[in-house]
Amino acid sequence: MSLSRAAGGGRSTPSLGAVVVSENGAAVLTFAVLAGLPLVASDYAVFILPQYMLYGVLAMSLGLFWGFAGILSFGQAAFFALGAYTMGLAMHGGGVAGVIDGAYLGLFLAALGAGALAAAVGYFLFSAGIRDTYFVIITIALSIIAEQLAITQSQITGGGNGMFIDRMMLNLGPLGSFSLEGDAAMYYFVLPIAGLVYLALRRLVGTKFGKVLVGIRENEDRVISLGLDASLYKTAAFALSGALAGFAGALYATHASFIAPSLGGVLFSTEVVVWVAIGGRTSLLGALLGGIVVASLSNYLSAITPEYWQLVLGLLFVAVIVYFKGGVAGALAAMLKARRGRAGEHG
Amino acid sequence: MAELLRTERLAKSFRGLVANQDIDFTLAAGSMRCIIGPNGAGKTTFISMVSGHQRPSAGEIWFKGERITERSVVRRARMGIVRKFQTPMVFDNLSVFENMEIAVLGAKGPAAARRGRIGEVLDLVRMAEIADAPVKNLSHGQKQWLEIGLLIANDAELLLLDEPTAGMTAEETHATGALIRRLIRDLGLSAIIIEHDIAFIRDLHAPVTVLHLGRILVEGTFDEIAGDTQVRDVYLGEA
Repeated sequence: MSLSRAAGGGRSTPSLGAVVVSENGAAVLTFAVLAGLPLVASDYAVFILPQYMLYGVLAMSLGLFWGFAGILSFGQAAFFALGAYTMGLAMHGGGVAGVIDGAYLGLFLAALGAGALAAAVGYFLFSAGIRDTYFVIITIALSIIAEQLAITQSQITGGGNGMFIDRMMLNLGPLGSFSLEGDAAMYYFVLPIAGLVYLALRRLVGTKFGKVLVGIRENEDRVISLGLDASLYKTAAFALSGALAGFAGALYATHASFIAPSLGGVLFSTEVVVWVAIGGRTSLLGALLGGIVVASLSNYLSAITPEYWQLVLGLLFVAVIVYFKGGVAGALAAMLKARRGRAGEHG
Repeated sequence: MAELLRTERLAKSFRGLVANQDIDFTLAAGSMRCIIGPNGAGKTTFISMVSGHQRPSAGEIWFKGERITERSVVRRARMGIVRKFQTPMVFDNLSVFENMEIAVLGAKGPAAARRGRIGEVLDLVRMAEIADAPVKNLSHGQKQWLEIGLLIANDAELLLLDEPTAGMTAEETHATGALIRRLIRDLGLSAIIIEHDIAFIRDLHAPVTVLHLGRILVEGTFDEIAGDTQVRDVYLGEA
């Protein structure tokens, strides 16, 4: 029967499976290296890496939305900044005595506030049928508004002078409380959080929710015509992405101890897009590593060549977009697949 | 047989251009109907109004006794009205199996049972052997079958098939006819099929509705339609 003619060989190892296996291995390696790094790395590296891991979490928030639902957002910095300022205000407020301390309240409200903002924006745009480029433009506007509000509402935000925030205390109730003042303590506080976020997102993309998002990325009209409410799924994904960015922003605020309006701006939003594009948008690990490695590279380059580092980064970005659309993770997966394919031919 | 779908004086115009007018159409549960007509007769417009992709300018649509005229595509699909588009609309960058996985997510019932259906549907559309193949490597005819498979996996009760044999070889067309007859006979589904291929329509042994200039010209068996002089004038004569 002509219709049952095999189109791609028999039931071989599924390509998606190969990527997952390799991604699992790479993830274990990544977190093992990060866990051991403070033993050998300089003090400065131990101080700065948690910040880059939080950038990695921010990158994963975009990776979920852009890589899986296929919708680009230039608004991640706005959610990040909203989370950071919320954290600052909550810690300055000191929380509710006897119920919750300021830092925990800040983390909670940061995720909730940024998630609610993303949900509201997503709901109105997606249910009105706004797609593609139009959505991107509106998220750019969101970042501009966030930065401008942080500048103009100076009685709340400190305006251009920024806002100072203490390192939070890790209050474990009956087990006592630990200061995160020390950089190593902060490092080992942030690392498992980044790991848990990664694991949770990996699980999420394997659920019905994740599969519907992939369907939306691949063919939204087909998804709708199969009775799946695409705009609802997109809104939920954007809300989750926003909440995660806000949460990362809150931790960033207490780690960096200082935040400024540019944290919410278009420039920073663009950096997030660059991290994810270079790392590989359809791989959450690619996004995480994109955030960590590209931010580290920027830091390094800005020290050795203050004039040209942005140019180098720009060229890298262009090269990735032109030569490997799937970023480094996508290129590695394709290479692995090609090698397996050749092995299959010979074997 | 119980009535599944009914439209009453259904009409659609696009800025003064009348695409459908006064369409009174009924379909019994477990039956199929072919819609034929020359280009521009309003066949796809009619299907689009039933699926919810187009809002009627006037008239009403009932499905299983419920008025659905204003309901969204999503809600109609959940009720069991699922559409196959003129050019196959599938997930090109995913595998056949992954396509099915998404289709069953829109179906009713517990997750395990829905997933269990995938194997049955793959057998039915003869794609079990190529479940892991990327859809972009499939032939046009295979994509058409895959899309029909998606509708079945999605728990469709009323299949709206817009030119299901377009781009198929004669052999594939014949097999498609056999598949559709099986879906109606064995699974108890219903179908509205837009087609141009006269041999295919004859093979289906289904009642035929002829549209012309947006209106129903005549309805009947294939032989009645083939012998109708009006139909010959507007349609068969031109073909």
